[in-house]
Amino acid sequence: MSEKITPTREKILANIRIQRFTPDKDRTPYFDNFKVEVETGMTVLEALRYIKNNQDSSLTFRSFCRSAICGSCAVRVNADPLLACSTQLLPIIKDFGKSSVTITPMANLPILRDLVVDIDPVIEKLAKMHPYLMKNKARIPETLAQESLMSQQELNQFGQLTDCILCAACFSICSAVKVDKTYAGPLSFAKAYRFSVDPRDSFRGMRIQASMDQGLWSCVQCRKCIKVCPKDIRPADSIRDMRRIAIDDGIHDTPGSRRAKAYTDDVEKFGQVNKPMLPVIVNGTQGWTAIEAAEVGLKKHGLEPTREVCKLPGQSGAATIYKKVREIEKQEKNV
Amino acid sequence: MLTYDVLIVGSGGAGLYAALKSRIEEDLQVAVLTKVYPTRSHTSAAQGGVNAALANKDSTDTWEQHWFDTVKGSDYLADQDAAELMCREAPEVIREMEQWGCPFDRTSEGKIAQRPFGGASKPRACYAADKIGHVMLHTLYEQGLRHGVNYFNEWVTLSLLHNGQRCLGVNALDTRTGKLHTIHAKAVILATGGYGRVYWNRTSNAYGNTGDGAALAYRAGLPLKDMEFVQFHPTGLRRTGILMSEGARGEGAYLLNALGERFMSRYAPEKMELGPRDLISRAIETEVREGRGGPDGEVFLDLTHLSRERILQRLPQIRQLCIDFEGIDPIEEPIPIKPTAHYSMGGIHTDMNGVSPIEGIYAAGEAGCVSVHGANRLGGNSLLDILVFGRRAGNHALEYARTHDFQPMIINPLEIAEKRIQNLMVGESQETTAGIRRDMGNLMSEKAGIYRVGNDLKEAVAQLAVLKERYKRLKVQDKSKIFNTELVAALELENLLDLAEIISQGALERTESRGAHYREDFPERDDKNWLKHTMATKGTDGRPEITFEPVTISRFQPEKRTY
Repeated sequence: MSEKITPTREKILANIRIQRFTPDKDRTPYFDNFKVEVETGMTVLEALRYIKNNQDSSLTFRSFCRSAICGSCAVRVNADPLLACSTQLLPIIKDFGKSSVTITPMANLPILRDLVVDIDPVIEKLAKMHPYLMKNKARIPETLAQESLMSQQELNQFGQLTDCILCAACFSICSAVKVDKTYAGPLSFAKAYRFSVDPRDSFRGMRIQASMDQGLWSCVQCRKCIKVCPKDIRPADSIRDMRRIAIDDGIHDTPGSRRAKAYTDDVEKFGQVNKPMLPVIVNGTQGWTAIEAAEVGLKKHGLEPTREVCKLPGQSGAATIYKKVREIEKQEKNV
Repeated sequence: MLTYDVLIVGSGGAGLYAALKSRIEEDLQVAVLTKVYPTRSHTSAAQGGVNAALANKDSTDTWEQHWFDTVKGSDYLADQDAAELMCREAPEVIREMEQWGCPFDRTSEGKIAQRPFGGASKPRACYAADKIGHVMLHTLYEQGLRHGVNYFNEWVTLSLLHNGQRCLGVNALDTRTGKLHTIHAKAVILATGGYGRVYWNRTSNAYGNTGDGAALAYRAGLPLKDMEFVQFHPTGLRRTGILMSEGARGEGAYLLNALGERFMSRYAPEKMELGPRDLISRAIETEVREGRGGPDGEVFLDLTHLSRERILQRLPQIRQLCIDFEGIDPIEEPIPIKPTAHYSMGGIHTDMNGVSPIEGIYAAGEAGCVSVHGANRLGGNSLLDILVFGRRAGNHALEYARTHDFQPMIINPLEIAEKRIQNLMVGESQETTAGIRRDMGNLMSEKAGIYRVGNDLKEAVAQLAVLKERYKRLKVQDKSKIFNTELVAALELENLLDLAEIISQGALERTESRGAHYREDFPERDDKNWLKHTMATKGTDGRPEITFEPVTISRFQPEKRTY
């Protein structure tokens, strides 16, 4: 009754274009082309290894576990940062329509050689976030005779974030890292947030401070980190939530938190943001310079500037929504 | 010269636990030397769980039952005093991990959740979804950062230095610069993991699981124990060896040969696909040998008769693994699989504190062999081994380093390491690392793998001598000093070749079948002659010398192992 199994396995001769750079040999990076027969099941990493084993043993890249859990092999394929080991090559080759694919090292990090980047900057930034549990004595027993108790719901507050494998794909794609070398990067904030909401921890305040020191408010919420994360972590959400707990903890004296607070307060009060006065609220007295400059500009064009918010019909609706939200929040807290 | 009180080689669970324990009071200088970044280590790949008789799920569980399960699982080759100690200490180390922030899943009372596991009489595997190894490794790394453990990332250890009585340190290569360094240390803990890569493409192990620590110790004159015992998992993906968990067969998957036959009816007509791992591995091997395998020597794990909904609901991760790593959707077509080398029971001979015969040199985890796993490791005991014995080695090394001085370093310690690198780097040759490595993997899979027989093993020993001769002619083609991964692979290959020889020699001498070691010509366990550990030391002719040591039996007399 049995039927013979004949697996269908496709093969396409593809051109793999790889960025090369060996610092004791080359002055600048360049591209090499390799012809590889790409078949069903072949991952990007397998193709790289095939080239190294059969065509050019000096091709340099990192790889270790081959099962998407160690985070070593992140590279960019047609500019997208991804794990080479868990990315099928054939669909990319076919998708591209040219039987060709380009592999480059991760962005935002110094290149050590070929596809290998220096990830120490990422680790150094992470290390500044106090990325470890500091015992909360109210929750953790003094001896090892007992375990501490924590509900699955409490764990679920941060459980997903512990999936992070430090591959730095998010760091490579991050818009804020690109413009600000001191910015911690998505994964560091995700880690800081993970510990800050662990009920067994007692170091949240220090982590909020470390986050602010490393640009917590610089994230522009482009959310590309969410898109590229191979573990489906949502660092941009963690950054947003970290900002929220910072404000909840009474830290209102940073430009970002003042802006966020001004937005929420204004909308409640006026049904809209009080844009004319925003620079002063966010940046203090320095903001007046901006406002005055803007007013001069408007007058030049014959426009009369105002520092008042204009009245909108139905603006009290916003206040009603706020009231409702506060009630729900209160109920949730009590549960 | 770089100087540390305690130096750990390897950054998996055992290494990081040892580092943390020796650094915890922050009075000693401690460094971890690793050929990757610490969180890349293979501990992260462990999915299922870590055993400890916490009795959170079943209040009748005790460490004594865990002890018995471990000894029985080992086919009575485990030292019972060592297994006892591991099972006794298990709850404490799990609580220590928990208190350091390890995110174990929880029971409805908020305790650490536990699940049943093969070979365990009670549900005692503590877990975190399917990523327990990953979260344990990260927890240890995080606490290491906190306490000021130093890390030498992407450094390769070349030799272990001692003066015959005491530890001196190591020689190592910084792969980023290509520079060689001697690190002077009072204590060195080898925690470099297993040697599944001896079977090269036929393993679930990471590329770097090349038994570096065991090979370093062997070349430094230390004995290796029970190296012939390598556990195979029956269902690894065809291309990569990545594991398809037993969950698939639990849900009703069939094992089919290329003719589409449910071949397990020939080998285990009652249990069919749910028979024990070693039996299924051998059945698959037989099918392939007799010509009923697929084009790449694979058989098939078939889910296609299950409904789409059932696969999506019950086996979503298995499906995703097939899509990502094999490029096929198991809803549409059968999954090609092969048995795959999974775990190395053997390793560097140590006592229960991880101490080797040379004072100050330690080994822990899969690199070491106390022995707690004997001839076959129980699921969930590998992570426990690294925690308990990593911790014990760290504690012992801490006391040792506090109470002992540095030994004077030998003159020109780098000389041998420099020569070794130069031999590989200078000149041209037809031999390549990839070529020798591939031949070694095929040889070991065919002659010293799942099925073993005297003549094949003799052939393996003879062929390995040929491969070692080829290795002597090997030259690295990449001449750059910077991040030379071809050089690293060549160094790893030398380690693998030494270990392959020891595995084959040990398997040849052991004329019985026990646990993972199956001799077709001696299919029965032979307690009268073989209830003993195999010890391999490097002989004066460069070949392994095999001797034997008794097994410690304290409570459980050997019985037939049936489940």
